[in-house]
Amino acid sequence: MLTTIKPRRRTVILYLIVPVALFVFTVFVPLVTALVYSFFEWKGGPSKQFTGLANYQQLFRDGVFWQAFGHNIYLVVACIIGQIGIAFIMVMFVNSRMARLKGIHRTFGFFPSTISAVCIGLIWSMVYHYKFGLINWFLRIIGRPDLQQVWLNDSKHVMLYVTIPLIWQYIGYYMVIILSAIASINTDVLESAEIDGANGFQKSVYIVLPLIRNTMLVCITLCIAGNMKAFDNIYVMTSGGPGTSSMVMAMWGYKVSFQQSNMGYGSCISVAIFILSLLVIGGSQWAIKRATRNMGD
Amino acid sequence: MKKRVLSVALSAAMVAAMGVPAYAESTEAATEGAGSGVVEVAKNDLAYKGSLDIMHFSTSEESQANGGSDGFRTTLAAWEDAHPDISVEENVLANAEYKTQVATLAAAGDLPDVFLLQGMNTKQWAAQGQVMDLTDIIKASPYYKDYKQDYFTPFKDGDKIYGFPVLTGGTCTVVIYDKAMWKEAGYDKFPETWDDVEKASDYFNDKGVTTIAFGNGGQWQANSDFLSTLGDRYTGKEWFQSLIDGSGSKFTDDKFVAALTEMKHLFTETKIFNEDFNSVTNEDAREYYISGDAAAFIGGNWDESYIATTLLDSDKDKYNNIGFAVLPQPADATEDPNSQNIGLGYAVAINPKVADDKDKLAACIDLAQELTGPAFASYVASKYALGGLTQVADVDLSAFDQVTQDFYNYSYVDTTPCEIYDSYINSAVWGVCNQELQSMLNGEMEPQQVAEDVQKAYEENYLSSSQTETEAS
Repeated sequence: MLTTIKPRRRTVILYLIVPVALFVFTVFVPLVTALVYSFFEWKGGPSKQFTGLANYQQLFRDGVFWQAFGHNIYLVVACIIGQIGIAFIMVMFVNSRMARLKGIHRTFGFFPSTISAVCIGLIWSMVYHYKFGLINWFLRIIGRPDLQQVWLNDSKHVMLYVTIPLIWQYIGYYMVIILSAIASINTDVLESAEIDGANGFQKSVYIVLPLIRNTMLVCITLCIAGNMKAFDNIYVMTSGGPGTSSMVMAMWGYKVSFQQSNMGYGSCISVAIFILSLLVIGGSQWAIKRATRNMGD
Repeated sequence: MKKRVLSVALSAAMVAAMGVPAYAESTEAATEGAGSGVVEVAKNDLAYKGSLDIMHFSTSEESQANGGSDGFRTTLAAWEDAHPDISVEENVLANAEYKTQVATLAAAGDLPDVFLLQGMNTKQWAAQGQVMDLTDIIKASPYYKDYKQDYFTPFKDGDKIYGFPVLTGGTCTVVIYDKAMWKEAGYDKFPETWDDVEKASDYFNDKGVTTIAFGNGGQWQANSDFLSTLGDRYTGKEWFQSLIDGSGSKFTDDKFVAALTEMKHLFTETKIFNEDFNSVTNEDAREYYISGDAAAFIGGNWDESYIATTLLDSDKDKYNNIGFAVLPQPADATEDPNSQNIGLGYAVAINPKVADDKDKLAACIDLAQELTGPAFASYVASKYALGGLTQVADVDLSAFDQVTQDFYNYSYVDTTPCEIYDSYINSAVWGVCNQELQSMLNGEMEPQQVAEDVQKAYEENYLSSSQTETEAS
């Protein structure tokens, strides 16, 4: 019987060939070509000069790139805590018996992640705007105009200010993922814990978290991958400025490649982003697995 | 019932939305001058039949407030009408997207038949064979004697010319001020020195008005709309020409560092500019002027077009009070106090691959000549009081209002032209310069350090590649 419904090997290959070809063409080929170009001095146009590892040597000396890498790590850490952490807390509140209008919380929580990053950037530029912005307006009406400032021109704290919209945007996204994971937990387990006298915090930390550990790992991986290639809303808000105070790796790669027409070195930066992202994702997964080895088993 | 109310509301919204562009179009006509609005291109016989690709950034939106863009689109349409056997395939993008896409196509060696070449890309793209050498073609043009020769400079590499300078010659640095506000402050015209502007700022700050609005959020404005002219006041023209030629000038020369020092002083130690100048763009800053929050604004000709068009629609009195002035002179500057940076930033260039088809090449040349020739020049002169590559004799300004006449005189008659820095050298150098200027204007870098870093980028990205190209040729 089973053989009658099992598709033939040829059919499987035929079905797979289109998505696999698309994947190879749009992801794998550009990656390999970027790797090849990264060994050339190529300022656009047909002439390329093979320079071996010269671009990579330049990369190690490129202060802006490593500053941008530091900013990406800042984004990753802030967003893991901000996006996933707040999403988890909100999910626990929404799931609690006291919460009302749960559907509305879920819908409105998810809503910002459906807006394009460019729009988010523009909205928050207005929030931070010196003359017409929401924050300075609020400071004026509470009688503290002395606290007003040009928020996005503060090079010491600008990374924090561009991170807040990113956190705000994706809380709902992770809420949906965590909600679906918690829905799969057997309610008997949670009820037993309640009968045993566990409070909300204890239930969250000692029961829910270990049971959704793999989902949280996926969330963290998505969060790292997303923030290692952060670009659009920061570009809209600050273009990486003032100076390079909010520069991130993808933006530096873009500026080098397209604004400075240095395609060879730009390709080298792209390869470095790929490798560094893999290292950060791999390293964090290893660290999390090691730290939670004895949990939930 | 609810559905009915909703559908009525939606219909009303749709009607309102349709009404907005209709109003915008009707008001747009009011800004135009006395021109007939008709372009008559030369109808030369062309053997070529088929398609011709062109890429440009004169979008229909841009052409509503920019005479050069309108002239370009109108001339292109007239050329298409004159040559029905040639189908012109246009790829039209907004300027920022255009720059990215044309750089990408150049990198891929896949440029269209005809495109607009930015001055600072000329040497690099010419060395890579991406643009056709048009020297002989330009000299053989029937309009050659009427061409303003200075406009070719950014598109030259040695003696070779790589493009027909296109659109309208527009200033990149103009002080636009409200005559009534400055008169109230005790100034019959805009101050000629920064010291006087600083004194005036005490008056305006007391009234809660910004003296001069400026926006450097995009990082390029401090260079294109300020330093390029301020630098000329300290260094003179030969210094910059020597930088272009790689013949001795350095960004670390004392006179250029002095210009940077003055710029830092003006932005960090005085209260002349809006506090958020480093985080808002020129588009935001000009709104401060339009709304009356600022008594003056510094920007380029594109900002002037926008401000004039907006005020003509919304506040006729404020429109009539628009005055134009050159950048004030710093106390320790010794060069021409009347200079302003003006030029044509782009040129019509032709892909060398077109040369394989002689008839197609003839069509591309004809198109380039007409897009920059007397038909275009007469159209923009008579309709907008603007000038292009081709000189138009006896521009009749009497049909235009005083503001348009004043801006024409500011741009082409009463001031001394100097070069727009970022029309030359290359983007890698200006990328470093613009980034560090923004930090310097935040008070976080010293002028000497900025000069050293820009010089380093200049040596690594411009001088070394110029040497390589010379050796290769």
